Amino acid sequence: MNNRVNPDLPRELREFGIRDWNECYHCGTCTAICPLTAQGFLFPRKTIRLMQMGLKDHLSTCVEPWLCYYCGECSEQCPRNANPGELMMSLRRYLTSLYDWTGLSKKFYTSKVWELAFIIIFAILVVLTFIFVLPPLDTTLTPQGGVKVNSFAPFHIIEYFDWAMAIVVAGLLVSNILRMYYRVVWQGTSNKVGLLDHIREFWHLIYNFVVQPKFSKCEDKSYWLYHWLLMSGYTIMFILIVVFLPWFQTEKIHPPWHLQRALGYYATIGLLIGLTAAIIGRLKKQEFKFQFSHVSDWLFLVMLTLTVITGILIHLFRVNGMPWATYVSYIAHMAILVPMILIEVPFSKWSHLAYRPFAVYFARLQKSAMTKTA
Amino acid sequence: MEFNPTIVAFLCNWCSYTGADLAGTSRMKYKPNVRVIRVMCSGRVDPTFVYKSFREGADGVLICGCHPGDCHYQEGNYKCLRRFKLMKKYITQMGIEPARLHLEWISASEGKQFAELIDSMTARIKELGPSKIKTVVETLAI
Amino acid sequence: MEEARIGVYVCWCGNNIAKMVDVELVTELIGKLPHVVVSKNYKYMCSDPGQELIAEDILEHNLNRVVVAACSPRIHELTFRKVLEKSGLNPYLFEMANIREQDSWVHDNREAATRKAVELVAGAISRVQYHEPLDKRSVGINPATLVIGGGVAGMSAALEVANAGREVYLLEKTEQLGGMVSHFDLTFPYLYDADKMLEVMIRRTINHPHIKVFYNTTISEVHGYIGNFETTIQSDSNQEQTLTFGNIIVATGLRPFDASRVGQYGYGRLPNVITSVEFEDLLRTGQVRTKEGNIPQNIAIIHCVGSRNTEFHEYCSRTCCQVALKFANQLRSLLPDSNIYDLYADMRAFGKGCEELYTATSKKEIIFMMFDQQHELPQIIKSVAPGDPPMLIFFREKISGLGLEIPADMIILMVGMEAHPDVKDIAHAVGISICSNAFFIEKHPKLDPVATTTSGVYIVGNCQGPKGIPDSVAQAKAAAARVLATINQGSVHVEVTTAEVNETLCCGCQTCIMVCPYTAIHYDREKKVSVVNEVLCKGCGTCGSTCPTGAIRSKHFTDQQILSQIDGLMKMALKIE
Repeated sequence: MNNRVNPDLPRELREFGIRDWNECYHCGTCTAICPLTAQGFLFPRKTIRLMQMGLKDHLSTCVEPWLCYYCGECSEQCPRNANPGELMMSLRRYLTSLYDWTGLSKKFYTSKVWELAFIIIFAILVVLTFIFVLPPLDTTLTPQGGVKVNSFAPFHIIEYFDWAMAIVVAGLLVSNILRMYYRVVWQGTSNKVGLLDHIREFWHLIYNFVVQPKFSKCEDKSYWLYHWLLMSGYTIMFILIVVFLPWFQTEKIHPPWHLQRALGYYATIGLLIGLTAAIIGRLKKQEFKFQFSHVSDWLFLVMLTLTVITGILIHLFRVNGMPWATYVSYIAHMAILVPMILIEVPFSKWSHLAYRPFAVYFARLQKSAMTKTA
Repeated sequence: MEFNPTIVAFLCNWCSYTGADLAGTSRMKYKPNVRVIRVMCSGRVDPTFVYKSFREGADGVLICGCHPGDCHYQEGNYKCLRRFKLMKKYITQMGIEPARLHLEWISASEGKQFAELIDSMTARIKELGPSKIKTVVETLAI
Repeated sequence: MEEARIGVYVCWCGNNIAKMVDVELVTELIGKLPHVVVSKNYKYMCSDPGQELIAEDILEHNLNRVVVAACSPRIHELTFRKVLEKSGLNPYLFEMANIREQDSWVHDNREAATRKAVELVAGAISRVQYHEPLDKRSVGINPATLVIGGGVAGMSAALEVANAGREVYLLEKTEQLGGMVSHFDLTFPYLYDADKMLEVMIRRTINHPHIKVFYNTTISEVHGYIGNFETTIQSDSNQEQTLTFGNIIVATGLRPFDASRVGQYGYGRLPNVITSVEFEDLLRTGQVRTKEGNIPQNIAIIHCVGSRNTEFHEYCSRTCCQVALKFANQLRSLLPDSNIYDLYADMRAFGKGCEELYTATSKKEIIFMMFDQQHELPQIIKSVAPGDPPMLIFFREKISGLGLEIPADMIILMVGMEAHPDVKDIAHAVGISICSNAFFIEKHPKLDPVATTTSGVYIVGNCQGPKGIPDSVAQAKAAAARVLATINQGSVHVEVTTAEVNETLCCGCQTCIMVCPYTAIHYDREKKVSVVNEVLCKGCGTCGSTCPTGAIRSKHFTDQQILSQIDGLMKMALKIE
């Protein structure tokens, strides 16, 4: 591993949002106060140290940035106001760009132009697809008085499209996870981890993915709840539109307590609560974790909020028999959703859905390798 | 009963007494067997002081002064050294073990060395046992 | 001899003595000794009520001798002597027993410490009976002052004394004034120009009507004592000149540590490894360039060179950390795109404005890295791989524990300060001592840092210990104030514990004359006896222990007094046993 000190790295990381990195004088208060730091995984001090010295190779093997849930305690206690919490956030962005082999992640983080261009191009492509490829809108209403959604957006076509996108995005994500694995578990440990350990620790991957227990360790537990509502809301929506689209995208108007509507409402409310909490937090900037917002932070929130709003509109307009409004909302919904997923899941902020639980899993693998040497 | 020697020490004001004080301010701990008598210079230590100490029952006598070249009064410690060599011969002739008389240079900054010196000298005298003169003085109560 | 009426006072010193010595028991046992009229103990004998207690008892009980068992006489002997004086007793009818620094503080067995205290006090009581009243003597003061060293400290002291209208002789070893500060570019923490500061000071010194500067002059033997010193110097034109003065201020400073002694830093081998002093000289030229004339891209600063290391000097040189921060700041201004590395063992940025300097420097993209001074010092090598920078520093970074490489075009070694090689000669010349680090020893490290145990000789600036400019100047002015106070008093008390000859007993062998280091005794050919010049006598007592007839006695340290001290001490020791 390259042990040459490289002062260009911290300068490079400016675009990923780091600031005040030079002010850290390694007193260790941040690590002491952190509720999640643990034996063998000391952060933020260690990662900030490596970053200050520009040790890129060492930094790429670190899993610690993913073990941080940005409670902000470290930033609050830092005697030098070096904002270690934000440094960890920037490192997460940096690592995301490292794991990605396409180079697009780095482009999206460092260049607003690229990001906006990508969104606009894909939005336009989606709109054009609806106008010129997919069948036109049938403005007649259903017997119940609802809009014929499946006329312009036939569910079997949309379903294929959903699956295709899911597979592409999942494929990219999986390849990046493998690169993460190589760096963190292969390069980052001196001992090799056995197959048994891989199997034994696997449960933690599932558990962390579903429950996010580490998030609940923050002093203010409400954020865990907001996030869980958001996550569960989105997950339910994802399953509904990918796996159960024919059932979900129905022209029947069920009673409100029907599962199709109830699940939809839960997902919507969950998403709205989570998003509102995040947006208000970032606007008020009262908590340490919300002091700084990178473009990538806002973009994700805004696009997801717009997706939810357009989704609500689709539903409202459909059940109230407003065909053109439904048509426009649906196109808008897809025009926002497609670029959002294409950018955010493999290349940007949403990748944390995979990196975080895998990080916990890999950390446990690293630990089992460490205890072997002991 | 355990033998606890009494050692009479002559310390010069400028170096060794100050060094002993430094051991005190530094709270170093050493054996409680030494009794210090302050003189201005180790050159002031008259042989009669040494003999008087043994005569009154001291188990050991220690003289401390400044390191050669550092005497506050230029050369007093050299004179002391010359006298010391003669005193050693004399007490041997009188039947006192020469190891009971010791000379060491202690500077004002050598608190630790002073403490160690007292400990080592106490140990050495303990091994030698009580001075014969003391036994005589005590028995005859003279 | 009148019958002794002794008052004994045992001090608790709060808990300092009482914790380990049973003060009440000591008071009780001592009270039973013959001639002890009063035996009391009190919490703080040196306090006003404590002193009052003695004063009252002297009058009430008609005491004629006083013994205080407390701290070291080096601290409060003078305090209690003054009490006796105020109560009408001669101050020398007093003795102290040290039961703190040499008893309660150094033993952990209460019984043994108490026994020792009783014996020491018994010795003091025995001795004090033979104390005699001694008269104080005073001599006049020569109002001129000698200042040795023409750096910032020396000049500050000289100016302070001269501004009060008193003559000053300033001796400078080199051919110009200014000392180490003449190498500096800017000073920390506010980055003032050193040149401007110094220029004003030098001009004032040279032009001052009351200061006479002697260049290329060193100090040799100084004779005399406070108020009456004399020395002969060899000035420029090789002419000898005798100077007389009343006080001496030593301001000889320190020199930079020789960095070539630290082999792994490559100083002397690698051209672009320079010391902090050399870097200051470089900064004064206004351009920072390597020896080859290039603009350095990677500059490293290494702290603690020759300091805080048992192999070279164990002490910290106090100013180097702040100077290093100053360098980092200056480098960032001069070379905004360069990479600057600060390799430190610790960051000691105390004092006004210095922590702020550290915080400000921390915002300038300087990479601070810590190494372990005790275990693995950095290693500087010349790199051989093409495309590599000229030097690499191999370095174990303490916080991460990783062994790293740092590229460097220029390396600045923050060398510590060490004593000049001739410091022992200076000490001998003026009659002061040096410590194990070859700094001059002050009278008391806390309470009297500019005076020495030799009256009339003061030490200021770096020669007393490493420090920066503000502290040096403060000490210089403090010493000047002391000197001026002495001069203003007009006269000064001198040693009374001198030697005197009983002419009846003197056999004229002249042995005492041979051993006196101050040639204070001369032979009276008519009377055929030795005569002591009490002005020159310093009271060392060497003559007293040499005299075969006991004719010459050292006042206040007579044979009788010391022998009785031994007697009292040992009788109590055997009694208690």
